Amino acid sequence: MAFAPMGPEASFFEVLDRHRESLLTALRRGGGEPPSGGSHLASSSEVLASIENIIQDIITSLARNEAPAFMIDNRSSWENIKFEDSVGLQMVSHCTTRKIKSDSPKSVQKFALILKILSMIYKLVQSNTYATKRDIYYTDSQLFGNQTVVDNIINDISCMLRVSRRSLHILSTSKGLIAGNLRYIEEDGTKVNCTCGATAVAVPSNIQGIWNLVSDAKFVLIVEKDATFQRLLDDNFCNKMSPCIMITGKGVPDLNTRLLVKKLWDTFHIPVFTLVDADPHGIEIMCIYKYGSMSMSFEAHHLTVPAIRWLGLLPSDLKRLNVPKDSLIPLTKRDQMKLDSILRRPYVTCQPFWRKEMEIMADSKMKAEIQALTFLSSDYLSRVYLPNKLKFGGWI
Amino acid sequence: MEGTAVTVFEILRFLIIHWKCDIEVSKGALLEGQLVISIEGLNSKHQTNALHCVTTRDSLALLPRLECSGAISAHCLHLPGSSDSHALPFRVAGITGAHHHAWLIVASAGSLFGGMVLKKFLKEIQSLLPRISAKLTWTSEEGSYSQDMTRVTPFQMIFEVDEKPRTLMTDCLVIKHLLRKIIMVHPKIRFNFSVKVNGILSTEFFGVENEPTLNLWNGIALVVDSQHYARPKFDTIESYCSRIHPVLGHPVMLFIPDDVTGMDLLGELILTPAVALCPSPKVFSNQLDSISSVSIFLYGPLGLPLILSTWEQPVTTFFKDTSSLIDWKKYHLCMVPNLDLNLDRDLVLPDVSYQVESREGDQSQNMDLQGQTLLLFLFVDFHSAFPVQQMEIWGVYTLLTTHLTAILVESHSVVQDSIQFIVDQVLEQHHQAAKAQQKLQAPLSVAVNSIMSILTGSTRSSFRKMCLQTLQAADTQEFGTKLHKLFCEITQHQFLHRCSCEVKQQLTLEKKDSAQSTEDAPGNSSLELLTDTRGQAGNKRLKRGSSSVEEMRTPLHSARAPSPSEAALGGSDPTAAPLTPSGREACETHSRALEPGRASLGSRLEDALWLQEVANLSEWLSPSPGP
Repeated sequence: MAFAPMGPEASFFEVLDRHRESLLTALRRGGGEPPSGGSHLASSSEVLASIENIIQDIITSLARNEAPAFMIDNRSSWENIKFEDSVGLQMVSHCTTRKIKSDSPKSVQKFALILKILSMIYKLVQSNTYATKRDIYYTDSQLFGNQTVVDNIINDISCMLRVSRRSLHILSTSKGLIAGNLRYIEEDGTKVNCTCGATAVAVPSNIQGIWNLVSDAKFVLIVEKDATFQRLLDDNFCNKMSPCIMITGKGVPDLNTRLLVKKLWDTFHIPVFTLVDADPHGIEIMCIYKYGSMSMSFEAHHLTVPAIRWLGLLPSDLKRLNVPKDSLIPLTKRDQMKLDSILRRPYVTCQPFWRKEMEIMADSKMKAEIQALTFLSSDYLSRVYLPNKLKFGGWI
Repeated sequence: MEGTAVTVFEILRFLIIHWKCDIEVSKGALLEGQLVISIEGLNSKHQTNALHCVTTRDSLALLPRLECSGAISAHCLHLPGSSDSHALPFRVAGITGAHHHAWLIVASAGSLFGGMVLKKFLKEIQSLLPRISAKLTWTSEEGSYSQDMTRVTPFQMIFEVDEKPRTLMTDCLVIKHLLRKIIMVHPKIRFNFSVKVNGILSTEFFGVENEPTLNLWNGIALVVDSQHYARPKFDTIESYCSRIHPVLGHPVMLFIPDDVTGMDLLGELILTPAVALCPSPKVFSNQLDSISSVSIFLYGPLGLPLILSTWEQPVTTFFKDTSSLIDWKKYHLCMVPNLDLNLDRDLVLPDVSYQVESREGDQSQNMDLQGQTLLLFLFVDFHSAFPVQQMEIWGVYTLLTTHLTAILVESHSVVQDSIQFIVDQVLEQHHQAAKAQQKLQAPLSVAVNSIMSILTGSTRSSFRKMCLQTLQAADTQEFGTKLHKLFCEITQHQFLHRCSCEVKQQLTLEKKDSAQSTEDAPGNSSLELLTDTRGQAGNKRLKRGSSSVEEMRTPLHSARAPSPSEAALGGSDPTAAPLTPSGREACETHSRALEPGRASLGSRLEDALWLQEVANLSEWLSPSPGP
């Protein structure tokens, strides 16, 4: 065809539009945006003052001949997490803490590293420069040991100071991609247009700085895997389903991808759907977008989009579409454990349909990737499956 | 080892073996008794260039008096004509290049020779004499002494040896070394060793009766006071425990090579190693000492020192290879034999000594030149299912002295395994402590630097001022120093390693304190007695002639309490340390000889004050070697 019509006819999106309406109504009922608790976008002087206060406390302890210590919230403890349908997972107000003491041989190293990173953050904020977590690790890789140590300490500091990571002038490199009907301007003035082409646009590293977001998209499709995302790009999905936005975190999403999804929801209030594999890992990734992760629960308000719906691949679809058994994969022991753990999480109780789908998966003891749909035809996903799902409201 | 030293050692060896085997001393009991060894040398009238010594009846008579009265001990050795105040033992003024004729008198007190049949003893000991160049003269003592000598077993041996002055000098040092080695494992044996050459007299007491010991087996106990093995560094007195903490190893059977001819043993040779660090650290300070030397002590059956060869060649072929017993590479240490042959030291001298040459690998760690010494005790004992005869032990001893190298080579792997295991244990602890210390220091530096970075980079003057004021620092440099110091202090107490003996000492001290208060009254009378008799007596060690010294000595000895409180005093008052061990030994001999109530004499305060006063007298009091 010389020129393909952009997107389906308007009636295609009727169900979607109704869905959007219901979401907006729910939003209005909920009293607008939830209050921003947890971390906030602090100014430079606030961050500097917080750090100086910490130093003062340490020096005062030393002057009293007491060993100084940091009190860190237990971010990774379920007892400090609560679930709210409107927000997702978030930290409780009075959460348990752990002490990082300077006079204990076990924790003195961590104590010193926290101070070291605090001093680096202090310098970054003072000089108004930014660094990634990787940059920080490489300033003294021998001292830090590995990247995870740095990542955890940065998260701890963010939680301790109650400021976002961005306010600490620490960036995380994004691995996500975005494509579709969206344009915006970055903080430095760069204009970005994500309109589908052969390639997608990388999720920017400074989500808080982007502005002037413009889009006509009817929905946002979050794709779990990069392979599926590329497949949809190749199949020109964005144009076929135009106007829409596609985004992928390439597996477990990083902070920027999550921040962008949240920003898109906050800005446009359009339905957000996920396309994940019909396996426990995929379901978990979907839960991260929707309800948040345990480790970042202190920043839940900025990261979660509870309005997200599960579009596919549903375990019930496998049966419905008669996906052959040889396209299915048996659940491993690890899969079983993960599935059980998800079923026990607080948010599943308010999602009966999700629960049912997970039970189907548990009963059949089988999982499937989205690629399993290629048994029908190579472009079944973009040509039949997704359009039908979107047209007839096949999301839960 | 020349004539005199050989003679003395052979006799002592014989006596100890006889004591253990022929007299009914239970196997596990420690040998107890006192031996007097006296050497007198004079220029020989009969031979040119020879020194001849005559043991007068008077001098003989004096010796027993030493033992009986107890309280006066060696102060009695004020012989007519010997008023030379510079009575240093080995200064043989005016006699150079001449042969000395040395008379050696060995006497004993206590239970040492109880029940011994003199004739039999004489016959047995004479069989030894062909091996040593000495003539035996026997004195029959019955009835030749006054009645106050009932406590003395009437027994004396007199040997005559020809020696050059220098050889005599060396031999005296060797004898002293041997006596120290013996008392280290036989803490209840005391020696009174005096040397008089041409009127110049020196006497020394060797005894460690009230010192802490570790009971081993078979009637020997190792003295664990670290002052005998190494000199403490005064500035770190409080960092180190006053005792060593030996770790005993697995006993291993030694194999005797087939080509070693000798008696057929009706038993086994068992080697038991013991390892200790000296001094043993109490507090892990900022700079942990590293191992700087190794001292090996060899003991044969019944705790007799193994004398392997002449003093000119102290290290046998086997021990020349420093890794023959211990693999040092795993501790990044490079050991070389230490050929320092200086005998004239108050410490117990090792038979084999190594020193650290250089440290492989970790260059950043500071080498403390006066670091810790690793003490390795090798106890070779003879075990048999049958009752062990005296001659058998004698034979075993001879076998060991002549063929120790061959035996150790034959048993090399088992010996090395046993020793390595305990060295690993001891050094591992040391290592772990050093690692923990290092592990702590690095993060603290990081923390301090980070805080300094924030402080110096801050543009808020109120914040900077507040920080400086909190630590009372005038500027950021002083602030940094104080910050580091505070961090170190606060974390330091977490790593204090309390020796178990410290706790026991504290408890014992408390008991002594309570005992002292109740026993004050009777104690006073014995003090007066001491003062009176001291007035008549001469100096115990040096012939200074200065009355002030004598007066000072009185409270010195009265202030000397038994070792637990003494050690505690030593710990609390660093200036007490300079007093030499032999001085302490001497004092303890006195304290032991006095009535029991004496232990309560003087308050702790007086002791501390006195010790402070005599601290600077250490060099003046200690004997210096002759030319």
